[in-house]
Amino acid sequence: MRPGYKKVERMTTFMRINHWVVAICMVAAIVTGLYIGHPYYQTLISEPAVNKYVMAWNRWVHFMVAIIFDVSSIVVAYLYFFSRFEKPILKILPTPKNIVEFVMVFINLITFNRVKKFDSSHADSFNTVYFLIFHLLLAWMLFSGLQLYVHGLESGHSSIGDWWPWVLHLATDWTVTVTGGTYMDVRYWHHISMYFIIVWVMFHIYYQVWRTIFWQEGDIAIVFGGSKFVKDNK
Amino acid sequence: MDRRDALMKLFSAKGVKVNTNRGEAYYNRLKEMMQKRLDELSNTPAVTKTDINKVLDAEGLSRRDFMKWASAITAMLMLPASFTPLVAKAAELMNRVPVIWIELQDCAGNSEAILRSDSPTIDELILETINLEFNETLMAAAGHQAEEHLDEAMKRFEGKYLCVVEGSVPIGAGKEWCTIGARGETFEKHLLRVSSKSAAVVAVGTCATFGGVPAAAPNPTGAVGVQDIVKGKPIINIPACPANPANITGTILHYVLTGQIPELDHLNRPKFAFGYRIHDNCERRAHFDAGEFVEEWGDEGAENNWCLYKMGCKGPMTFNNCSIVRYNSGTNWPIGAGHGCIGCSEPQFWDKYATERPMADSHFKAPTGGVEKTVDEFGLGLLSAAGIGIAIHAALSATAGKKEEEK
Ligand code: HEM
Ligand code: SF4
Ligand code: SF4
Repeated sequence: MRPGYKKVERMTTFMRINHWVVAICMVAAIVTGLYIGHPYYQTLISEPAVNKYVMAWNRWVHFMVAIIFDVSSIVVAYLYFFSRFEKPILKILPTPKNIVEFVMVFINLITFNRVKKFDSSHADSFNTVYFLIFHLLLAWMLFSGLQLYVHGLESGHSSIGDWWPWVLHLATDWTVTVTGGTYMDVRYWHHISMYFIIVWVMFHIYYQVWRTIFWQEGDIAIVFGGSKFVKDNK
Repeated sequence: MDRRDALMKLFSAKGVKVNTNRGEAYYNRLKEMMQKRLDELSNTPAVTKTDINKVLDAEGLSRRDFMKWASAITAMLMLPASFTPLVAKAAELMNRVPVIWIELQDCAGNSEAILRSDSPTIDELILETINLEFNETLMAAAGHQAEEHLDEAMKRFEGKYLCVVEGSVPIGAGKEWCTIGARGETFEKHLLRVSSKSAAVVAVGTCATFGGVPAAAPNPTGAVGVQDIVKGKPIINIPACPANPANITGTILHYVLTGQIPELDHLNRPKFAFGYRIHDNCERRAHFDAGEFVEEWGDEGAENNWCLYKMGCKGPMTFNNCSIVRYNSGTNWPIGAGHGCIGCSEPQFWDKYATERPMADSHFKAPTGGVEKTVDEFGLGLLSAAGIGIAIHAALSATAGKKEEEK
């Protein structure tokens, strides 16, 4: 460790595992989702129907990934309020302190790190709000995706019981109304929201690298080792 | 729509599931009720002379054909097989329930679908025997004579007749150009007047249910469906373009049997007909799962009956039973004939389903209102904009930025 620096813990092991699982699943969801929307390969291969379930496998992967997102989202939503490490909710509430911190971090970003007037040793308000946007987008993908999914359960039955389609209707029918009144609209918004997520990811990666370069605190290491370094001013 | 309606719609949580096993006691009660209703009906005088047995005879159909049909309809209405005799009886009593059939902004395609077949199915024949009190397309009377007849029928069967509506209702600017009858009544007023004295309103075809083709963008006449105009009456929607005669007959039969309307989904469509997804009952589904798609008309895939998804089939988002009951005496249906489903039984189908390409490749109005874009074109635009923004920020950071160690 460089003299004058100390190590600060920023992500628990669970948070890091979750991060990489979500990242891998996101790539899988995008690749398979794009195939579902417009089957772009292998429509004319070899002889028909020899263990050939190209669309079925794509949908299978898409839905498996969706289930992982489901579980991850529920846990993350819980941690927002009850984490014993850092409760993100405390950084999101629009308290004067949080608003000032949010604005300061933002100003630092648009002045190319010339005005750094906040404590970068812990998760700041700007970062936490940015992640909240991601979690909201992911929740939207879940609700709209599950609405598309329940269309296939029109018999009202499922392998795990009749309660499942019932719950899905209760939890996701509102997506039809808010997107414009038809199932097509839900599908359209499910697809277009993917691009909002990709934009989110682009800036997310850029910002982590940028922070690492300009803050000189090893921020990029957080997601691998769980910690970064900050100047020890004691 | 008031706020409560809006909220209810938001959390409707209504699947299309129909409980088809409600237990012995339920069906016994139902049978008794139907029996009573049919007895009552058979004591009322038949208004039309057409008797289903005579009509069947004339077409060379036997009693056995009729009973076969009755058991199929019993199954379609999701009733146990023991209800078949009741259904047959109800079909014979169809001429006791008066129907007033009005036509608004439409092509009369639903009437045509029922009337024009050269070998009519029993569904279609049954519809010939209903007590059709008024129907502009069919009746001989015109002008004042027709209006008088309508007034008379409405008075005589007040609160008893079914008001069947075909076509959408123009309520936009210029609606006064769409008038009907010698009195020059607008379509909207005509509909409100005729429906007000009816027992229930049956909207037949997608125009009457959701506005359909006349309501497609830019909707020059401000066309809407019946349910947007008529309030405080039971409304049954039987969409599709055209509505399947089997579903019209099924709905009217259900009314004759029970005096009530069938169980409806969140779009007021009878669940017995619209509780099926096209995609789940499609003979090409195996090719969908295999990833074998028709790429253009007449290609090798088309010759092999592969899935029509890439040709724009919207079966995955469309609920209707035409994949099961089919059209034209069960001869075939659109996907069987080689064209994808255009979602004709769904709201706003012309703008959002009938695009002839997958949703991902369809052109939608850009959020700016301008040029029509596909969702991927819009998405790539978004990604480029983000990329440019990031590149500019990176470049400025590299030139004007200050790293901590330099400070
Ligand atoms: C968060 C990442 C996700 C991405 C990027 C994504 C992307 C996509 C895309 C691009 C489509 C194609 C839409 C079209 O053009 O027709 C699609 C379809 C679909 N997605 Fe997702 N999706 C995600 C999550 C989910 C989740 C969580 C579910 C929940 C079950 C889900 C369920 C579906 C379903 C059911 C379809 C339609 C598939 C079909 O009709 O066979 N998606 N997704
Ligand atoms: S043709 Fe249409 S309804 Fe049939 S499997 Fe393909 S997408 Fe589904
Ligand atoms: S296949 Fe689709 S578009 Fe064709 S009649 Fe059936 S529901 Fe309508």
